[in-house]
Amino acid sequence: MSETAAVDAQVRGAAGVPLLAVDGVRKRFGGLTAVKGASFTLAAGEIVGILGPNGAGKTTLFNLLTGFIAPDAGSVKLDGHELKGLAPYRIVNRGLARTFQLTRPFLGMSVLENVLVACLAPRVRHRMASEEHARRILDQVGLREKAASPVEVLPYGDLRRLEIARALATDPRLLLLDEPFAGLGSSEIEPLANLIKRLHREENLTILIIEHKLREFMALVSRVIAMDFGEIIAVGTPAEIVRHPRVIEAYIGRTEGDGAAA
Amino acid sequence: MKVRAIDIGGAIGAVALLALAPVLGNSGYLTGVLTLCVIYAIWAASWDFMSGLTGRENFGHALFIGAGAYTAGFLATVYFANPWWSLPLSVVVAMAFAVIVGFPTLRLRGPYFALAMLSAAAIMQRLMLIFWEQTGGEEGLYGLEPLINSPLHYYWFVLAVMVVTAAVLMLLARSHWGLILRAIKGDEATCQAAGINVTFYKIASLMISAAFAGLGGALYAHYQLQVSPPLFSVITSITIIIMVYVGGMGSIWGPVLGAILLTLLTEMLRGFGEYRLWIYTLVLMLILFFLPGGLVAPLWRRLTGARS
Ligand SMILES: Nc1ncnc2c1ncn2[C@@H]1O[C@H](COP(=O)(O)OP(=O)(O)OP(=O)(O)O)[C@@H](O)[C@H]1O
Ligand SMILES: [Mg+2]
Repeated sequence: MSETAAVDAQVRGAAGVPLLAVDGVRKRFGGLTAVKGASFTLAAGEIVGILGPNGAGKTTLFNLLTGFIAPDAGSVKLDGHELKGLAPYRIVNRGLARTFQLTRPFLGMSVLENVLVACLAPRVRHRMASEEHARRILDQVGLREKAASPVEVLPYGDLRRLEIARALATDPRLLLLDEPFAGLGSSEIEPLANLIKRLHREENLTILIIEHKLREFMALVSRVIAMDFGEIIAVGTPAEIVRHPRVIEAYIGRTEGDGAAA
Repeated sequence: MKVRAIDIGGAIGAVALLALAPVLGNSGYLTGVLTLCVIYAIWAASWDFMSGLTGRENFGHALFIGAGAYTAGFLATVYFANPWWSLPLSVVVAMAFAVIVGFPTLRLRGPYFALAMLSAAAIMQRLMLIFWEQTGGEEGLYGLEPLINSPLHYYWFVLAVMVVTAAVLMLLARSHWGLILRAIKGDEATCQAAGINVTFYKIASLMISAAFAGLGGALYAHYQLQVSPPLFSVITSITIIIMVYVGGMGSIWGPVLGAILLTLLTEMLRGFGEYRLWIYTLVLMLILFFLPGGLVAPLWRRLTGARS
C-alpha cells in the first residue's frame, strides 16, 4: 500500500461510509489564511481529536463546519448532504452540534432554562416533552442539583458541562467540543473525560474534540488530526502523533513547555 | 418568576380601580384622560414584548401606531366603512409594516433595525404631508365615527382590550416563546448553537408587537375622531420607550403601569404651564438615574417581597 493510500485510510477511519466529509475547506481573514484547505472524514461512532498550537486554526475549522463562518472554498457533508450555505441553526437541526471554547451561557437564566432553550430546537421539540428532556440531559452531565441555579453563580467547571449539555439537548449525531478541558483543574479533568467517554459509548455519538495539549485526550480519542498554521500536518493514532516529526516541530520548535508529548 | 396570589390580587385591584375611577370621580375629563392612559399602556406593553424581551430596541414604534390609526382614518373617510372594520384591518396593516421593515433588518446584527424603524416612521410622517391630497396633510383625516357613543363605555372597552393585550403578551412572555426571546437577548450565537431560528423569532415577535400597537392606533383614532401626522413622530416613539423604562423593561405589566402613571403625570402638570416640561424631564431623569431597572415593577417586587 502506498503511503498516501495508508494516510487516506486513516483519514477515512475504519468504518467506510463517512458521517462527516470535509473537503478542501479554506478560510482567509484579510492577509491571514486561517484554514488552508482542510480535508478529512469521520466515520460514525468515531471519537477523534484535533490537535494544534494556539492559532493553528482549530476553532476556525469548527466555525466553518458549523456554519458560523462561511468558507471561501470547499465542502462539508454530513451523511452525504452538503452543509455549506446553511445557517448555523439549520446545521444543528441536521444533527451537528458544537460547544464554544469560551463558555457562552445565556445570562439571566437558570441552568435548566439554559438547556431548555436547546430542547426547543425543531429537531427535538416535537419528539420529546421539552422540560423532561432538559432534566434528563442535566442528569447526564451531572448538573441535576444545579438545575434551578442562576448561571451567574455556576463555578467554571460546571459552565463547561453546561456548554456540553446545551449541545447534547439538540440530540446531535456528531458533537464538536472546542477545548472542553480548558481551564479545568486536574481533579476535574478525569470526570469530564469519563463523561465524554460515556456519551460516546452509550449515546452512540460521534465526537470531534479540539485540544492543544495532547496529554488531555491521549486516552480518549482513537485518532488525532494535527493542525499547524491552518494546515492538517498529520493524522494518526495518539501514539503515532506524539512521535510525528512535524508535530514535534510545531510544538517543540515554537512553544517550549507546552509540548505535545509532555 | 412565579405568579403569586399577591400578583394576581394586585392586578385585579389595579384593573378594578381603573374601571371604577371615572364613576367614582364622576368626571368626563377623567374618563378622557384614563382612555389615553390605557391606550398608551397598550403601546408600551406591545413595545416591551419585542424590544424588552429580545433587547432589540425599536425607535419607531410610532410607525405601527400611525399605520393603525391611518388605516382607521382611510376606512372612515374614503371607504365609509363600518368603524369596527378598523380594528382587524389596522392589525393587518401594522403587521405588514413589521414584515417590510423587520425582514431585511432583523437578520442583521448591529443598529440596522433601530435605525430602520426610526427612519421608516419619520418617512411615513413626511409622506403624510407630501400626499396631502389623500392624507389631509397637516390637518390629517377627521370625521371618524366613534366605535361606542358613550365615552365611559368606550373607556371600558379600551380598558378591556388593554387587559387582554397585557394578558396575552404576559402569557407569551412566560411561555417557551418568551424563553427563546430572552435567550436571543442573552446571546444570538448561542441561540444558533442551540438550534433556534433567531431571525424567525425576532420577526414574528415584531409582528405581534406591531399588531397590538396598530390596534391601539385604531382605538386612538376612534377616540380622537381624527388622525394626523404627529402620530408617526419620533416623540411618540420616545415617549413609549420612556414609559417602558420607568415601568421596568421585560415585565409587560411594569410598562403598562409606567404608561398610565406618566400619562397621568403629564396631565397633572398641565397646570404648571411652561414649567411642565422641566418638571417632567426632571422626574424622568431622577427615575432613570437612581432606578436604572425602572420604578414600578422593581418597587412592587420589593414591597411584596418577591425574590427576583
Ligand atoms: N473572525 C476572525 N477574524 C480575523 N482573524 C481571525 C478570526 N478568527 C480567527 N482569526 C485568526 O485565525 C487564526 C486561527 O484562529 P483560531 O481561533 O482558529 O485558532 P485555534 O487553533 O482555535 O487557537 P487556540 O488554541 O488559541 O484556540 C488566528 O491567527 C486568529 O487570530
Ligand atoms: Mg480555539
